[in-house]
Amino acid sequence: MIDSTRPVAVRAAEHPSAARTARRRRLAGRATPYLFLAPALVLFVGLIVYPMIRAFQMSFYDWKVLAGATSTFIGFDNYARAMGDPVFWRGLANSGVYMALSVPPQVVLGLLIAMLLKSKSPSQPVYRVLFYLPVVTSWVVVSLLFKYLFADQGLINWALADVLHLGDGSTSWLSSRWTALIAISALGIWKGIGWSMMIFLAALQGVPESLEEAALMDGANRWQRFRVVTVPAIRPALAFVIVMLVIGGFNVFTSVLLMTGGGPGGQTEVLLTYMYRQAFTNLDFGYGSAIAVLLTMIVLVLSLAQMRIFHGTGQEEG
Amino acid sequence: MKRSLTTLTVTSVVAAATLALAGCSGSSPTADASDGATETVAPVTLTMWGTYGNGGNTAQTDVLNQTLIPSFEASHPGITVDYVDIPYADLKQKLTTGAAADELPDLVRSDIGWVAQFASLGVLAPLDQEMDDFSTYADATYPGSLATNAWDGHHYGLPLDTNTRVLVTSQAALDAAGLSEPPATFDDLQAMATALAGKDIATFADSGLQGWNILPWIWSGGGEITDADLTTSTGYLDGAESVAAVQMLVDLYTQGAIPNLITGNSGATSTSDGLPAGQYATILDGPWMRDIWAGQYPEFAPIYAPVPAGPGGSISVVGGENIVIPATTEHMDAATEFVRFTQSEEFQLAMATVGQMPVVESAGTKAADADPFYAPFATQLATAKPRLVIPQSSEVDSILSTELTPAFEGTTTVQAALTSAAKQIDALLTSN
Repeated sequence: MIDSTRPVAVRAAEHPSAARTARRRRLAGRATPYLFLAPALVLFVGLIVYPMIRAFQMSFYDWKVLAGATSTFIGFDNYARAMGDPVFWRGLANSGVYMALSVPPQVVLGLLIAMLLKSKSPSQPVYRVLFYLPVVTSWVVVSLLFKYLFADQGLINWALADVLHLGDGSTSWLSSRWTALIAISALGIWKGIGWSMMIFLAALQGVPESLEEAALMDGANRWQRFRVVTVPAIRPALAFVIVMLVIGGFNVFTSVLLMTGGGPGGQTEVLLTYMYRQAFTNLDFGYGSAIAVLLTMIVLVLSLAQMRIFHGTGQEEG
Repeated sequence: MKRSLTTLTVTSVVAAATLALAGCSGSSPTADASDGATETVAPVTLTMWGTYGNGGNTAQTDVLNQTLIPSFEASHPGITVDYVDIPYADLKQKLTTGAAADELPDLVRSDIGWVAQFASLGVLAPLDQEMDDFSTYADATYPGSLATNAWDGHHYGLPLDTNTRVLVTSQAALDAAGLSEPPATFDDLQAMATALAGKDIATFADSGLQGWNILPWIWSGGGEITDADLTTSTGYLDGAESVAAVQMLVDLYTQGAIPNLITGNSGATSTSDGLPAGQYATILDGPWMRDIWAGQYPEFAPIYAPVPAGPGGSISVVGGENIVIPATTEHMDAATEFVRFTQSEEFQLAMATVGQMPVVESAGTKAADADPFYAPFATQLATAKPRLVIPQSSEVDSILSTELTPAFEGTTTVQAALTSAAKQIDALLTSN
């Protein structure tokens, strides 16, 4: 019988095979967390990190798609080309406009709906599901749906002219840059509100009721309670939602591709549709990758800036 | 407990890695002939990618799989053909990723617009070098279709099926315009627009300003997109004839006789709905519309006529598919045998019964005799021309539509738009 009170080392010295087992156990013990991480890590590295590194590499080449073909290293030529490419800048501007048009309503309306749905009532789960439904619906399906809604003889024009009596309903929404971006943004807002609502609902559960009550006792009205109690309490969620929505805004792709295809004449092209066209229509993978890298850098800088802002002001108030 | 957990973890890692690797590598699409045996003896399986079933139409895949491939296999013992149907929208991307991963099939039914692009990348085998009897087959096809296989002094494929756009109208539209027959010339079309003014019917509709859309007008107007040797676009695309032809369309657009579908309004009624619905009086379209309208508008009786003639005659644009062989195939002899089979009267006429126009002139005549529906298309094909056969044909399309859209919207002149487009196309031509 082994005396379990003696140190392992002593036991190990007496029984070499036990020492090996113990060492193996210790190693296995240390390795366990990494082994648990491994499945996800393998997929992450194989399907995300590796393609990213490859894309970064491709962006410096006149990339030949054929297996085994030699690609020519051209340094920053693809980046220089993007700087002088008016469609790149228009795509960037359109991505920015989409972000500016779609993010604030998603934050404001998402928070508003979350506030309304916070109180307990029998109908509340039904509404939560209804608002969340667009989030889990396929982008392809809703993009086609909105394309028909905003068609010349679509529901929006009919509603504007025959129901609301605003104009004659002859607006060709998808035929010019700004009206088309409005239609695409409307889709983004409708589809995204449910997501921000869900995050805000979760955050609102964490607002201490005692604070609300204290503010009420101090005579704060509804708006004042919202401003000084609710908003500071859900600040991290607010920052998270805004950062994620801005990233998502710059990544708009499916809705543009299906609603306008970047048309008319490239007027509604966004960065990702332009990248896609360069890579998969023109087979210019080098230039497409350069656009992707530039988009990544823009989003990275924006996200870092936002996090700094939120962090900074958070400390001042804290 | 700990040990079993570790085992579990290791197993899951291995499983995940295997999954990832399987996802990355896929399986080889070509069945390997055993190394020791010679190619003529070993059974060979040819894999072919194509888009015959596009739109869920099984008529063409049925003819291929149930009649033509069995017939080929019967006359070529030892060769099996495995046809894989791929949606049109996915095929180009699949070819691209297949080329990158070195996993291409042995035969591809390729859009005519892709051959030069993939040939210039080195993906395709030059058939004029692989087949001793290439010219025998090439000479039998329509020159306009054959030309879409040429790149850099070689032919990388043979035409497989062809089509072209003709003018399509309806009796209702002709009645509304007070015409007894479809507009045959540019002047007729303009007169039709005058007659239809204020009647809520657009005279002509099209869904874009790419080469497929705009070139029939430029060619019929006597213009060109480049010189014959593909060295310059300046002096051709921005020449007086090209400008006049496009100007006619712009004038019709300004009068409201052409809807903004042409400038890319994706919310406008499509041509295939607008014509039967009486919204549009004329459109340009291809032979595939017969089956589509038969299904969706059984009452509609389309009238087919040549593209309205201008100073250059009535000249339309060639569409269709070519048969090509990826350079990576391990079964070149068997693959070229199948290419020869696609040029046979048996193959061409069988496909003609399900809507694919023959590319072999003799078969084309027979098909038109058997089914008078094809006659207007066969006539139009005699003079139809291909779009630019260069690797950057998709870029030419986006140049044309980007430059011409503002000309239609009135923010620039046709001359300025075409001059700018010609300069950009010049740059593409010199880079080849």
